[in-house]
Amino acid sequence: MPIDETLAERLIGLTEMLPAPVRTASGKVIQGSVAGVKGAYGLLCSSSWVFFSSAAILFAPLIFEIERTQMEEMHKQQQRQILLGPNAAVSGSMMPPQAAGM
Amino acid sequence: MASSTPPAPAAAPTEDKAAKPVLENPGSMDELHKACKDVFPVNFEGAKIMVNKGLSNHFQISHTLNMSSVTPSGYRFGATYVGTKQFSPTEAFPVLLGDIDPSGNLNANIIHQFSEQVRCKFVAQVQNSKFMASQFSADYRGRDFTSSLTMANIDLINDTGVIVGHYLQSVTPRVALGAELAYQYGAQVPGGQIAILSVAGKYKAPSYTVSGTVGAAGAHLCYWQKSSDQIQFGCELETNLRMQEAVGSVGYQVDLPKANLVFRGTVDSNWTVGAVLEKKLQPLPFTFALSGMLNHPKSQFRLGCGLIIG
Repeated sequence: MPIDETLAERLIGLTEMLPAPVRTASGKVIQGSVAGVKGAYGLLCSSSWVFFSSAAILFAPLIFEIERTQMEEMHKQQQRQILLGPNAAVSGSMMPPQAAGM
Repeated sequence: MASSTPPAPAAAPTEDKAAKPVLENPGSMDELHKACKDVFPVNFEGAKIMVNKGLSNHFQISHTLNMSSVTPSGYRFGATYVGTKQFSPTEAFPVLLGDIDPSGNLNANIIHQFSEQVRCKFVAQVQNSKFMASQFSADYRGRDFTSSLTMANIDLINDTGVIVGHYLQSVTPRVALGAELAYQYGAQVPGGQIAILSVAGKYKAPSYTVSGTVGAAGAHLCYWQKSSDQIQFGCELETNLRMQEAVGSVGYQVDLPKANLVFRGTVDSNWTVGAVLEKKLQPLPFTFALSGMLNHPKSQFRLGCGLIIG
């Protein structure tokens, strides 16, 4: 016997066992939640783009530079330590006469 | 007070004078919002190379190359002469400033301080071998007030021009009040002439400044705050009643002397975000500048990169 209805048609037919108000209400709830999720996703996308691109312009270069200076300072201190021993690292002002002595 | 101490009457006038706060010069009207404006970045687009060369103590020349996809690219040559007349250790007069591009478009400035009080400035702009703009202004700086008169684009033949008068007076050590009267006459002005009056005020505390100008055409309010040695904030609100628009913006400036860095950023209510980074490449006489500006509603991004040598 040939099947004269698809699975989707069968399922739609089956929904008729529920009363009409329940069907329309659940349909509206599903539609609403789909639209809500879509909207929320779009909003999240654009707001995170605005936030991160603005932060990349406003703060990223500044943070990079601050980190770089700190790294440089650390590097200098390490160099001083290697050159003059561990106790010379603390007193920066001691460095010139000692360096001259070497 | 005089009755409690009999010998006081002789001393009273001097005491009164000492008790009366010393009013300082409030600065000129053009510099009313300067502290706040300086915090905001000046964005540019494309690549910019500038070479400054001092020929002597008083004479300096500069070459500027501008490469951009928005504004026309080009070369400008500039020259500065600074004279020998000095009233303060930082400034010397007369100052002659000019820059010119190969097609002959010229901007020229002459600034001269004739005495402790009087300073004059002349600005001229020549474009396509025509005087596009000329402006003459004279400032008088009193002990506690500044008045200035500016005449712009005065054309005697066609009978057009703009005259602007400023007066700014220190009322208390912190408060300065002033007014501006702008008068324009000419055939293209409706009614032949128009005058616009606006009032200005400034409150200056050690760590913050509030300044504002209110007139018939709109209002302009500025707030500047110094949070620490390194961080300054600026807040600006500009309304234009004729265009029916108001723009608010917040800016900040971070100075990092250790890294030879100045960073300025701004966000405004048109969703425009901009920042300029200026770094001195210390052992070399170079300054590197990087500018980025992003407008969210238009999805427009402008990147600028500059190198100043000397």
